Amino acid sequence: MAILEEISEKVQKGRAKDVVALINQALEEGIAPKSVLNDGLMAGMNVIGEKFKNNEVFVPEVLVAARAMNKGVQTLKPALTAQGVEPIGKAVICTVKGDMHDIGKNLVKMMIEGQGIECIDLGVDVGPEQVVEAVRESGAQLVCLSALLTTTMYAQKDIIDALKEAGLRDQVKVMVGGAPVTQAFADEIGADCYTLDAASAAEAARAFFD
Amino acid sequence: MTNRERAMNILHFKPADRMPAVHFGYWPELLQEWVEQGKLSAEDIEGWGDGNATDRRLDEILGWDFNWGTTYGAANGLMPSFETKVLEILPGGVQRVQDGNGLIQRIHPGVISIPEEDDYLLKDREAFEELYRDKMTFKPERVNLEFFKNFNENVYNKSDNPVGIHLGSVLGDIRNIASLVGISYLMYDEDEDLFADIVDTYAEMQYRCVEAILETGAKFDFAHFWEDICYNSGSLINPEIFNEICAKHYKKRTDLCHKYGIDVISLDCDGVTRQLLPTWFENGVNTMFPIEIGTWGDQFGPAREKYGKGMLGVGGMDKTALRKDKAAVDRELERIQRLAALGGFIPCPDHRLMPGTKFELVQYYAEEVKKIKL
Repeated sequence: MAILEEISEKVQKGRAKDVVALINQALEEGIAPKSVLNDGLMAGMNVIGEKFKNNEVFVPEVLVAARAMNKGVQTLKPALTAQGVEPIGKAVICTVKGDMHDIGKNLVKMMIEGQGIECIDLGVDVGPEQVVEAVRESGAQLVCLSALLTTTMYAQKDIIDALKEAGLRDQVKVMVGGAPVTQAFADEIGADCYTLDAASAAEAARAFFD
Repeated sequence: MTNRERAMNILHFKPADRMPAVHFGYWPELLQEWVEQGKLSAEDIEGWGDGNATDRRLDEILGWDFNWGTTYGAANGLMPSFETKVLEILPGGVQRVQDGNGLIQRIHPGVISIPEEDDYLLKDREAFEELYRDKMTFKPERVNLEFFKNFNENVYNKSDNPVGIHLGSVLGDIRNIASLVGISYLMYDEDEDLFADIVDTYAEMQYRCVEAILETGAKFDFAHFWEDICYNSGSLINPEIFNEICAKHYKKRTDLCHKYGIDVISLDCDGVTRQLLPTWFENGVNTMFPIEIGTWGDQFGPAREKYGKGMLGVGGMDKTALRKDKAAVDRELERIQRLAALGGFIPCPDHRLMPGTKFELVQYYAEEVKKIKL
């Protein structure tokens, strides 16, 4: 449908006001909210994610697209709730203890939400106890951990260990990332997944729930 | 030869008697660590700053020749800056603080890292006009003319080391003022000219600061930009937008430097810089610094092949070797020997030396790097 393509295009261009107006129009025309979400908003974010991975767009374009997507989701939410549409899964995401960097974490969050996954964002400087508590309370099936510093990357291991101690490790997949993190490091600390960039992280997250 | 002659000869592909031992300073935590280990006294590190008297004293102790970050410039930030104030104390002792740039950050107690960005004031045209434009304009008090009128006698002629003029930044400062999220939104604001207007206003002020300094007759060996607008996957800004909005400001400042005979123009940018290199090189920047090994890898050589002798380098030495052992330092010396052989390259640790760096290994490296064959 042309209007869904238009929503997708406006998301890609970061035009939040246009996205909101088009969603209202689509709903008035009787288009199913789930279709607006999947074929309009998420489709647009998927294109941005792919372009970001291929260096065709950059962080600013992702941020404005995500802002447009979020405005769109807010507009759509009442209709989605009324129809009983649920997220495909839940993820807990944070930057680890001692680390204040949140751009990478936020990009991953936006991209993951663009895949229809609900994100519980614990923020930055987050310790193992907070993650364990959040997983226990929310029933999240995925934990995403970000660290930008060589001095904080080992805090990712502390969280994995805490999840083991709490008996929650088998309930969740753990994804790690950040500038100093490598596949070898992810293997060393017992993470389930490492990805190089936010778009790949979203793809991997989606794969966990498929 | 003096260090000035050595460094400038190398960066002009001319003969030099040896490689200078160049560094880029220290994280304060490392200096404190060395004091606790008894390697230095508290007096030795008192008031350390790039190129100052303390830095030069440490050069003597450690065996360095000089710090590349020895530059002089104007007060080219916001003037006056915003009042730094605590806006709110949050649970856990986290402070919400508005800094001198109008950036609102969360300071977490006991955390040594950058602060968490929370909000920013430069959100739209109204904020720019009412809060920022005046703070970004040129004012005579930005430049200490008396200091620069006497600069050659008091600084340049007394130093054997290369002395640089700081050219400020084109985008890095604005990112610090509005945050990455903020500049991203500004770039795509409905007021399409706003972002360019901010960049142009700030850049014009920085240009006039440089112009005022150079007009005094103060002499410099090189000029230096700071940016830090890349991350581990590449540029933080779309290179096309960067080229469209920022390129002309590099050209204007580098043209000015050329007019005053300064032809080594370095630029400090961490992260993966390759997408922005063409814009920089086409607009007068010719020296990359500090060539972080974590993001450049071994790409200086291939980049030299691509850009030719128009690309110089200061940096590229993997500083983490200085936390390991002598064998790791030797391996690093062997690797940078190959880069030095290309000419136009001066090895320097690829950023400030970090906690855990071994004092004796720094002394060893500083001694050995001077033996690199040219």
